[in-house]
Amino acid sequence: MTLLFGHLIDLLLAVSLTVLAWRLLATSDLFKATVLFIAFGLLMALAWVRLDAPDLALAEAVIGAGITGVLLLTALRHLDSGARVARMSGRSGRRSLRVLLPALGIMPALLVLLCLSSPHIRSTAGLTASVIERLDQIGTDHPVTAVLLDFRAYDTLLETAVLLLAVVAVWSLHPVRPIFSPEPISPAQRGLLRLLLPVLIMTSLYLLWRGSHAPGGAFQAGALLAAGLLLLLLSEQRLPGRWSGMFLRLLLAGGFMIFLLVAAGALVGTGTLLDYPGGGASWLLLSIEAALSLSIAALLATAVIGGRPSDRSTEFPPRRKDPAGEEG
Amino acid sequence: MILADFLLAQPWFVWLILLPLGGAASTFVLPRRVAPIGFCCALLILAGAVFSVCQLTATGSLTQAAGHWSAPLGIVLRADGLAVVMLATTAGVGFIISCYALGYFPARGHEPSRARYFWPLWLFVWAGCNALYVSADLFNLYVTLEIVTLAAVALTALEGGAPAVGAALRYLLTSLVGSLTYLAGVALLYAGWGTVDLSLLSQVLTEDPLSRTAMALMICGLLLKSALFPLHFWLPPAHGKAPAPVSAILSALVVKTAYVVLLRLWFEVFASFDRAMTAHLLGALGSAAIIWGSLMALRQERLKLLIAYSTVAQIGYLFLVFPLAGAETAATVWTAVILFMVAHACGKAAMFLVAGTIQQTAGHDRISQMAGAGGPIGVLAVVFALASVTIIGLPPSGGFFAKWLLLNAALATGQWWYCPVILTGSLLAAAYVTRVLSWAFLDVRRNVCPVSSRVMKWPPLALCLVALLLGLAAYGPVRVALTGAPVTGHVLVEQRP
Amino acid sequence: MNDLSVYAAAGILLFFIGLYALFFRRQLLRKILAANVMGSGVFLIFIGLVKQPGQSTDPVPQAMVLTGIIVTLCFTAAAIALAIRLKELNEEHHSATRPEDDFG
Repeated sequence: MTLLFGHLIDLLLAVSLTVLAWRLLATSDLFKATVLFIAFGLLMALAWVRLDAPDLALAEAVIGAGITGVLLLTALRHLDSGARVARMSGRSGRRSLRVLLPALGIMPALLVLLCLSSPHIRSTAGLTASVIERLDQIGTDHPVTAVLLDFRAYDTLLETAVLLLAVVAVWSLHPVRPIFSPEPISPAQRGLLRLLLPVLIMTSLYLLWRGSHAPGGAFQAGALLAAGLLLLLLSEQRLPGRWSGMFLRLLLAGGFMIFLLVAAGALVGTGTLLDYPGGGASWLLLSIEAALSLSIAALLATAVIGGRPSDRSTEFPPRRKDPAGEEG
Repeated sequence: MILADFLLAQPWFVWLILLPLGGAASTFVLPRRVAPIGFCCALLILAGAVFSVCQLTATGSLTQAAGHWSAPLGIVLRADGLAVVMLATTAGVGFIISCYALGYFPARGHEPSRARYFWPLWLFVWAGCNALYVSADLFNLYVTLEIVTLAAVALTALEGGAPAVGAALRYLLTSLVGSLTYLAGVALLYAGWGTVDLSLLSQVLTEDPLSRTAMALMICGLLLKSALFPLHFWLPPAHGKAPAPVSAILSALVVKTAYVVLLRLWFEVFASFDRAMTAHLLGALGSAAIIWGSLMALRQERLKLLIAYSTVAQIGYLFLVFPLAGAETAATVWTAVILFMVAHACGKAAMFLVAGTIQQTAGHDRISQMAGAGGPIGVLAVVFALASVTIIGLPPSGGFFAKWLLLNAALATGQWWYCPVILTGSLLAAAYVTRVLSWAFLDVRRNVCPVSSRVMKWPPLALCLVALLLGLAAYGPVRVALTGAPVTGHVLVEQRP
Repeated sequence: MNDLSVYAAAGILLFFIGLYALFFRRQLLRKILAANVMGSGVFLIFIGLVKQPGQSTDPVPQAMVLTGIIVTLCFTAAAIALAIRLKELNEEHHSATRPEDDFG
């Protein structure tokens, strides 16, 4: 009976995901599309739970729905103001929509039939057994963390490079635009922030520590901390000018550089990339994760803020008190 | 000799990944010392690449399993002939472009932010390229492709104007579609066979609707990323509107990355498949790219767009390898395509660097108004002509040798219809180069001879000389390229039709 | 056919819906949303095809999808920064000259 119920939930979830995606891409109101996208992210998190991937559920909820949602809402403010909407030249949508819809509908159907009828699906054992039988050689008990930080640590190193690269790319475009902040902030808002912020910090530290034996880890913890940093932004806390230079850059690049140094050190020591000394002691992995999550939090928050600090040592991001002027 | 043994034992191909990554992070953290750090990095990477080549010729292909975890659980890095040749090419061309960029992006000029962000982004591109060439893991290849793409997109937008930013955005979205399609293929392969390692997959993969779908998806994604006709629409605006050193990086180095992944997939993972139709399709698209790209280049009014369309055409030659790699011709086309990539990298980078100098001194890059470019003697035009020798494929350049090998392979496999395509491509290349040079050599009196930075003068010339001499000294690169290659046979230098 | 393949099927549909919207919708923000939907589709395909009923999910694809989520986020952030900058530059251009609608 519960099995049938489970099948029903899966079917419902899959159908809602598809329908939600179609709605959010078909609607003409960009704000509605963004909100639907955040809902889509939360439904994806549920799908990951059903697929027995709790690390992915945590990551999707914080990053996919949370950080991406904030990014999109910020973009909406800049892109959707007034009649000028940023668009790329292309054919008009309507006519080609109707003509190509049936043609494009056949391709996915064919693909579904092709893939799912192959005898090879689910006939291979996958790598779960290999990971679990080697877990005791590594300083962590959680399989996904073991894969991320040890078996495929090189991928994680490159992934951290992509994060740093994203911030460099965003900074290369334009100095930071002032963020409009209303004054004064309401007492209800202040009280809520005072409540939420410690909870966020504690939860992120907990997730970081928990990643060594249960779902959690550096990326989820870092993203949660980034959400906390963005909340601070809402409560008008700004990074003072003297911290927005070298200190900020060291914070952003620090996690990646520490990871890189460990990799280089292992290369010098044993001649193999990322061959941790002692087979990967838990304190080493935890310290790499801690440095990474701090950096990831700073990187994600900076990516949302969207511009490089100006050279004049003003606070980062600067305030704009004038609501009547062009919204920054 | 102890020092020699020590040097030979170092895993240089891994250092070539860590060095530029460290350089990129350092240039980001220390923006005031961007130029010295960047130049030192470039020098060290060049040294490392030279050591890598020596190591390959002495000991053969090297592999390393990251963290001592071998496949399928871990990631394997492999430095075979293809990887080392591409590492060396990227190092050589990259070093010369770095020297040029020292003059083009002055760190103390009125726009210091361009220099400050060029170096971290360029070092990220370099790191991504190096990591891609040595990787033997499909998912790791995806991550390295993303590093290269994101950094290249940001470099394209460095120019600052609306056309450049628009071109960068189109590049980003198109590339993203390509990567996601490739990743979908990787997902299907893992679901069916439980591994993403190249050598393991080449052993266990069977032909199946699932794997054929995966192959189709991965090829489509990589075609989009390597700008094969008709999926090339994003390339000319991006390469034409970027700053000159960036265009050189994009055309000479970045376009080859997705293609190298495709080479590895074709010759290793999917080697046992029956893919005659796909091969002919890729050959047909490659031929169309050659003709179309060259014709479009003839019609261009601006020099950098002309060179960008020339890249579209040259990419077509690369895709002729798939129908021409028969049983006896496999080694020939493998060598041909590697030589072609090296020669094209040198020649195209030289062309873009010259175009950059012309644009800086003349203030624009319109071909019809280029008379007297670069001074009364037209020195820059001479360098441009030298660079185009390898693009057209005249002896003794590397481009000539590569096309000669392709012609031999076409005759040996009986696919003679590729010969007129190759020859027409050369003729059209000669046509558009002549068009550029005919304007540049006009005798026009100029009152003021504009001065460009001294360090911007010799790099294009150095690159041209390398491309020219490649045909003469081809034995060395050919031997390196065939080390550890997944093809057997010998190189057909002479073929009677 | 296993019931969990329903997620893989949804993933394939999401991939094509996203691909389609990316090419045929003109607004930049919508293209970025479409790319994100495509990415989610690929990740669902990955885990949906790998998941076997009654066993814990393979950790290697989970790590790969986590990496994919982060990389997609990085691309989204860069794309949004580029789109905002593009709009700013176009507005400066429009206030300086007469309005025109295409570029790039």
